[in-house]
Amino acid sequence: MADRVERLTNLLALLLETREPLSLVEIAAELADQYPEGQNARRASFERDKAALREIGVPIEQEIVAGGPYAGQTRYWIDRKRYELRDLSLEPDEARALQVAMAATRPGSASGQEALWKVGAGIPDQLPRVTAILPDAPALPALREAVASRTQVEFSYREVPRVVDPWGLLLREGFWYLIGFDHERGGRRTFRIDRIQGEVAVREGAEFERPADFDARDAFPEDPKLIGADEAVPDARVLIDGSRAALAVRELGDERVAARHADGSVELDVPCANLPAFRSWVLGYLEHAVVLGPPDVRADVVAWLESVGAGATS
Amino acid sequence: MLPWLMERGEVPVAEAAERFGMTEAEVVRDLELVAMCGLPPFVDELIDVFVDEGVISVGVPRLFTRPLRLNSVEAFELLAAGRAAMELPGADPEGPLGRGLAKLGAVLGEDDTSGVRIDLDPPALADELTGWVERGERLRIRYWSAARDEVTERLIVPRQVFTDRGEWYVIADDDRSGSTRTFRIDRIETVEATGEVVPARDAELPEPGTWFADGSVPRAVVRIGPAARWAIERYPVDSIGEVDADGWVTVRLAVASEQWLARLLLRLGPHAEVVEPEEWADLGRQAAARVLARYRAASDRS
Repeated sequence: MADRVERLTNLLALLLETREPLSLVEIAAELADQYPEGQNARRASFERDKAALREIGVPIEQEIVAGGPYAGQTRYWIDRKRYELRDLSLEPDEARALQVAMAATRPGSASGQEALWKVGAGIPDQLPRVTAILPDAPALPALREAVASRTQVEFSYREVPRVVDPWGLLLREGFWYLIGFDHERGGRRTFRIDRIQGEVAVREGAEFERPADFDARDAFPEDPKLIGADEAVPDARVLIDGSRAALAVRELGDERVAARHADGSVELDVPCANLPAFRSWVLGYLEHAVVLGPPDVRADVVAWLESVGAGATS
Repeated sequence: MLPWLMERGEVPVAEAAERFGMTEAEVVRDLELVAMCGLPPFVDELIDVFVDEGVISVGVPRLFTRPLRLNSVEAFELLAAGRAAMELPGADPEGPLGRGLAKLGAVLGEDDTSGVRIDLDPPALADELTGWVERGERLRIRYWSAARDEVTERLIVPRQVFTDRGEWYVIADDDRSGSTRTFRIDRIETVEATGEVVPARDAELPEPGTWFADGSVPRAVVRIGPAARWAIERYPVDSIGEVDADGWVTVRLAVASEQWLARLLLRLGPHAEVVEPEEWADLGRQAAARVLARYRAASDRS
C-alpha cells in the first residue's frame, strides 16, 4: 500500500514536471523499479494509477503520436493550467462560510467534504440552526458542467430520447428541474431530473447560445395552480371556514379576499388555471372549504369527490 | 494537506489530525511517505517536510502549492451547498458566503441567473423563528394540528429550523406534550414571544426530515393508479411493489395521521385504494361524503 502511494505521488510529480509528453516506457524508466517488469503487468498497474489520479481530479492528458518512428504510441502529460485551481483564492472567512453552508445543506456528502479541503476549508464542527435537505440526483454534476460550458446533452425521458440545449438547473419544492431548448419539440421545455432515465450524454463540441434574459427561476410559476396559464388567469371563488381562514389568507394574500363573514369564514379568489393543482389545494381543506363558482370548476370538484375510491374496485 | 501545511509553515500534528479527520499516527505516516518521494532528475527539488516534537515543518516546492482542481461532483456539491445556504434565513449576499460563492462561480463558469438556481422560498416567519432559536426563547403559538384538525394554543421553545421537499419546519421543545416535536411553519397562526430564555436540553434533536423512520408511525398499504404516481415521489414510501397490467402499483407508506391519509385519498380521487389496514379502507369515501354534504347544503340554500 505504501509502495503504491509512493508510486502515485512520483507519477504525479513526473507528469507535472515533464516538458514533453512521455510514453509508458519512458515513465517506467524514470520511476525505476516501481512498475512491474512484465509488459502486461506494467500496463495494468499504470492504467490503475491513471484511473486513481483522474478520480481525485488530476487531468491526465494523452495523445497518440502521429508520425515518425513512434507513430501510434500513446504519450501522457498533465497540463498545469488544468491541474491547478487557478484564480480561486478564498479568504479564510469565505472558506469557513462555505464550510457552514455544506454542514447546513449537504452534511453527508463525501465529495462535498473533499471539495472543502481542496478550497482550504475544514470539517464543520457544529450543526447549524437552520438547515435544508436537498434531494440527490446522479445526473446533476454532468448537467451542471454542460450548462456552464454551454454543451448540448442527450438523455432518455419518459422512454423518449431527447436532445437538449441545457440552459439552467432549478431546485424548487423538493425537485430538481432542467430547463432548456428541446430540439425534438423545437421549444423551451422543463424536465424533472429524477425522471431522466439512465445516463446523460454530453455532446462534445455541440455548443449553443442561451437567450440573454434567461432566468431559471422564471421557468415556471412558483404557485402550481398558475402553471399553464397564458394571459387571463381565471379564479375560482372558494369559501373557507373560520377555523382555517387565517392560514388560507396568509398563504394567498389579503388581496385575494373577496368577502369576510360574521362567523369568521372568508371567501377567496383562488387561481385555478391548473385544475388538478387547484382541486388538490381545495380538497386539502377537507370539509372546511367549498367551491362556490364558477359552475364548471365546482362541478369538476363534485364529480371528483363522487369518484373517490370508486375507480379501484375492479 | 500539503498546500494547507505550506501556507501555515509550522503546524502541531494534533491540529493537522483534527482538521483532516485523521489520527496523529496517520498524519505522521503520510508525511513520512511524502518526504521520501523524490522528484525526477530534471527538477532537482525535494519535498522538505519533517516532524519534530509534535510539530510539522514544511517547505514545499511550487509543485504542490496550488490545490487540485475540483472534479465535477465536488464542484457541484460545493456550488449547490453554497447557493442553497444563500436561500436560508440570515444569509447575507454581501457577506463571506456571498463573496466566496461569487469567486467559486467565476472559476466554474457559473452565471448569476442560470447555472444552478435554488428556490427555497422561506416564509417570513422562518426568519423570526431562526432568531428565537438562537436565543432559545419560549414562544406562545396558535397552531393548526393536522391530526386533530383543530387550532391549539401551545408553548414551545424552538431549537432548529429546516426545509424539506418544499415545506418549512421548526423543531421545538413542546410544553404540551413534554417532548421535542416538529411543527410545520405554515400551520402556525400566531406567535408571541414570552421573553423567557430556556437553555437547550442535552438530549439530541431528532434528525430533520426523518419522522417516518420511526417504527411507531402507522403504516398503510395503498394501491396507486398511474395518475396518482406523483404521491410516491412526494411522500416517503417504505416499499413499492411491481406495476401490474393496468399500471397500478401497491405501496406501503408512512401515515402521519388518519386525517392526513383522508386528505391524501381525497386528492388521489379514483386513482387510489386502501388495502390495509381494513379500518381505513373506507376513509376516502367517508371524507368525500363529508365534503359533498357541504356542496349539497350550499346548493340547497341557493
